[in-house]
Amino acid sequence: MRLTGATAYGKWWRANDLTPCSDISGVDELTKEFLAESREGLDRMERCLTELEMRPGDAGLVGEIFRAVHTIKGTTGFLGFDRLEKLAHAGEHLLGALRDGRLEVSSELISGLLWLLDGLRAILALIEETGGEGTRASDEDGELIAALTMLYRNEPGNESSSRAAGSEIALVNSGPASGDSAPAAPIHPAGVTNGPVAAGSDKTIRIDVDVLNRMMNLVGELVLTRNQMLQSGMEAAHFPELARRLDSVTADLRETVMQARMQPVGNLFGKFPRMVRDLARTCGRDVRVEFSGQETGLDKSLLEAIKDPLTHAVRNAVDHGIESPTERVLAGKPAEGCLRLKAFHQSGSVVIEVSDDGAGIPMERVLAKAIERSLVTADEAAGMSEREALQLIFLPGFSTAAAVTTVSGRGVGMDVVRANVEKVGGSVEVESRRGEGTTLRLRVPLTLAIVPSLVVKSGGQYFALPQSALVELVDIPKRESGGAVQRIGSSELYRLRERLLPMVWLDRLLGMAADSPGTQKGHYMAVLEAEGCRYGLVVDDLMSPEEIVVKPLSPVLREIGLFSGATVLGNGTLALIVDVGATAARAGVKPVETEAEVRGHEQAAEDCVSESFLVFEDVERERTALPLDAIERIESVPLSRIEYAGGRPLLQYRGELLALTDRGHVLDSLAARGGEMLATVLICGGAARGGKRSGMVVRQVLDVSDGTPLGAQSAMQGIDGMDLAMVRQRVTMIYREQGSPPWQEVA
Amino acid sequence: MRIATREGLQELLEEDDAISLCSLIVGSDTFGIDTGKIREVLGERELQRVPMSPPFIAGVVPYRGEVLTTVNLRALLGMTEHNGRCCVLVMEDNEGAERFGLVVDAVKGVVTVSRKTLEPNPCTLSARAKWLFDGAYKMQAGLMVQLDPQRLCPTRLSETGLFQQDANGGADASADRR
Repeated sequence: MRLTGATAYGKWWRANDLTPCSDISGVDELTKEFLAESREGLDRMERCLTELEMRPGDAGLVGEIFRAVHTIKGTTGFLGFDRLEKLAHAGEHLLGALRDGRLEVSSELISGLLWLLDGLRAILALIEETGGEGTRASDEDGELIAALTMLYRNEPGNESSSRAAGSEIALVNSGPASGDSAPAAPIHPAGVTNGPVAAGSDKTIRIDVDVLNRMMNLVGELVLTRNQMLQSGMEAAHFPELARRLDSVTADLRETVMQARMQPVGNLFGKFPRMVRDLARTCGRDVRVEFSGQETGLDKSLLEAIKDPLTHAVRNAVDHGIESPTERVLAGKPAEGCLRLKAFHQSGSVVIEVSDDGAGIPMERVLAKAIERSLVTADEAAGMSEREALQLIFLPGFSTAAAVTTVSGRGVGMDVVRANVEKVGGSVEVESRRGEGTTLRLRVPLTLAIVPSLVVKSGGQYFALPQSALVELVDIPKRESGGAVQRIGSSELYRLRERLLPMVWLDRLLGMAADSPGTQKGHYMAVLEAEGCRYGLVVDDLMSPEEIVVKPLSPVLREIGLFSGATVLGNGTLALIVDVGATAARAGVKPVETEAEVRGHEQAAEDCVSESFLVFEDVERERTALPLDAIERIESVPLSRIEYAGGRPLLQYRGELLALTDRGHVLDSLAARGGEMLATVLICGGAARGGKRSGMVVRQVLDVSDGTPLGAQSAMQGIDGMDLAMVRQRVTMIYREQGSPPWQEVA
Repeated sequence: MRIATREGLQELLEEDDAISLCSLIVGSDTFGIDTGKIREVLGERELQRVPMSPPFIAGVVPYRGEVLTTVNLRALLGMTEHNGRCCVLVMEDNEGAERFGLVVDAVKGVVTVSRKTLEPNPCTLSARAKWLFDGAYKMQAGLMVQLDPQRLCPTRLSETGLFQQDANGGADASADRR
């Protein structure tokens, strides 16, 4: 056995002067470390192999693969895993020839090496499970080794070296199956790997020692601060300072722990080249995979959570998205399809895009399927926009066994994909262009443990609603609660911009309503959306938006099914986190009906000329408005947070720099009043409208109501980029931004 | 029969069968729990009720960065809610069992008794009481009923199904309280 290339393992073993033990009972620490290390090596090898197929001449890749196998071989000898060693040896031999240029990269060779990879992984999994490597007389190994030998021998033009190596191979090839019976080009069945192997790696994590040291230092500081606090007591003069220090140390510690939990998305992406390769072969596609943003960090638990949805999306893209080479050439595209995996940060969440340049989703087939499954009626389908129709593929029940075989659309299990991503607080979007391809966008929060949420009060208790599910907030004043709330039978509906929204009273749902339903009292309604359901959750009061740390509930309380956890609020009280999807289900809000209803009303709203506006005052005594859908949020910003550059006010908002427009010089007048003032800023644009965000400082927000834009006869038309409209029978100026279509429609 | 008196205490402690019990008051009854099974006595805490939870759940309290589920002993014994003071005890979570809290009216001192003096549950007890009680010690002031924390664990309580029936009653009581 050669051990010239002193591997990390080789050194380690020698340094510790450990004698190899041949009978390992159970899995000890050393073996565990070996397994983790080997698995990483094999993952690397897998990536390199698929790359090698694309760039056959890359010596660096061959070297990398060789090292991975060599390391395993070297270490197994010490640990006494003979079976593993033999297999690794056979592989190493083949790779050695490849490295020395005696062999050439071919598709068969890559397949053979991938087979070897699976063989090695299978043995590693066996070792992890049982502590031993299984029967030595296994036929599979013999077959595999024989196949590798065949690959070596089949290569022409290497007579001398082949003969020289022959004796070694004969040694290796002592298994019951001889080289004669082995298939010449072993094609490994796709998708057998990964399952049990990956499971073991979930429990451990690799951390940079620096990060760990920093954590330890911070903990030390935390302890010191605690000691000082205990000694000084509440009344001490420097108590506020200590509290501040505690605050900063905790924040640092939190950040460091988060950092330790972060794993690059590349770890997940790494599995795909191989999967795509195998899949492309079985489906008869020609696919190239491109990555970008592998270094984007994501919480480990989230990485695990999106693994399946992402795998599903990639599978779909290869299977249904990208056409066969002949079809592609006929369509005037290169024969080789391209699958792009892209990860990047966007406003506090990580976006992972899976895009292909395939045929796109055949819309008419989606609609036909939806009608067939009576998810929509034929009339509804006829009136649907492409975007609305695309949403159908996320409906539960759209995907069925029949759909898998007959419809080549993307609807296979998409509801599961969406459910899985939404479970971790994310969302899924799909975009498709006929003949140009499909893009699936998974949006997940950076971390699971800390969730931005809105704290509300109902029935005297605090509850937290995750911001990701929150669409908007509606104030139902006492005087209006009779008019806006409409009844069908016993169920109540709120007429929100001419859409009927089912109302769910949180206190009644939870059985804590003390007062009779008819009481005339002001309420707030949080419009929530989850798993395709949209409804209004009525609460007594809105508290502050807070970043909450999610704590799990005990099994008994989890059984209630309405709460996804609990959290300790800033004031020390506990708040239960409402599971938005489960609450909808408990209240009987049905996703399909709601969507159909919303769609119908959207249609109705489009037919009508009137539009909804947010009416506010920016210049004194003037009523100004913006179309409601142009406004993303209304924020109260302390004056101190508004910064100036070149005489223009700017606001840092969710990692973006917003330019603020201040037509009425509100900021100046607020600053003149002195003290810590709050400015009301409308956040316009944003992801919903696909544009860049901007901010608008206003004096006060007045109302939301429908208005009819005045026609071109108005004298004011075009002045200052403003239009006039009648909103609630009062003249109101409407902002119109240049080059932005939705504004133009108003005119 | 020996009862722990001040003189006999030392002698008793050295014996293997001595057991120290933390005495609790619920209503007018006295109960005892092995001190080794109690992790901490939190004292009076504000409990956050959990809507729709089983009636024997008193609520949740923050405890060492976790959310602790508490069991209401009064509810388990079929007593009515009371508005007075209450006391939360945290049970030891050995053998992988979940950690939970127990809400009682008050906690008194620790008494040491001999295990030998434990009287088994009388056969006339109701099914619920048989589940809850783990025999009784004869004290000078009366009987001290021993409780086994393992059987008071919320998961096991809900598994037995003995305490689910008055779910409506419990919910009403909580609404009335507000």
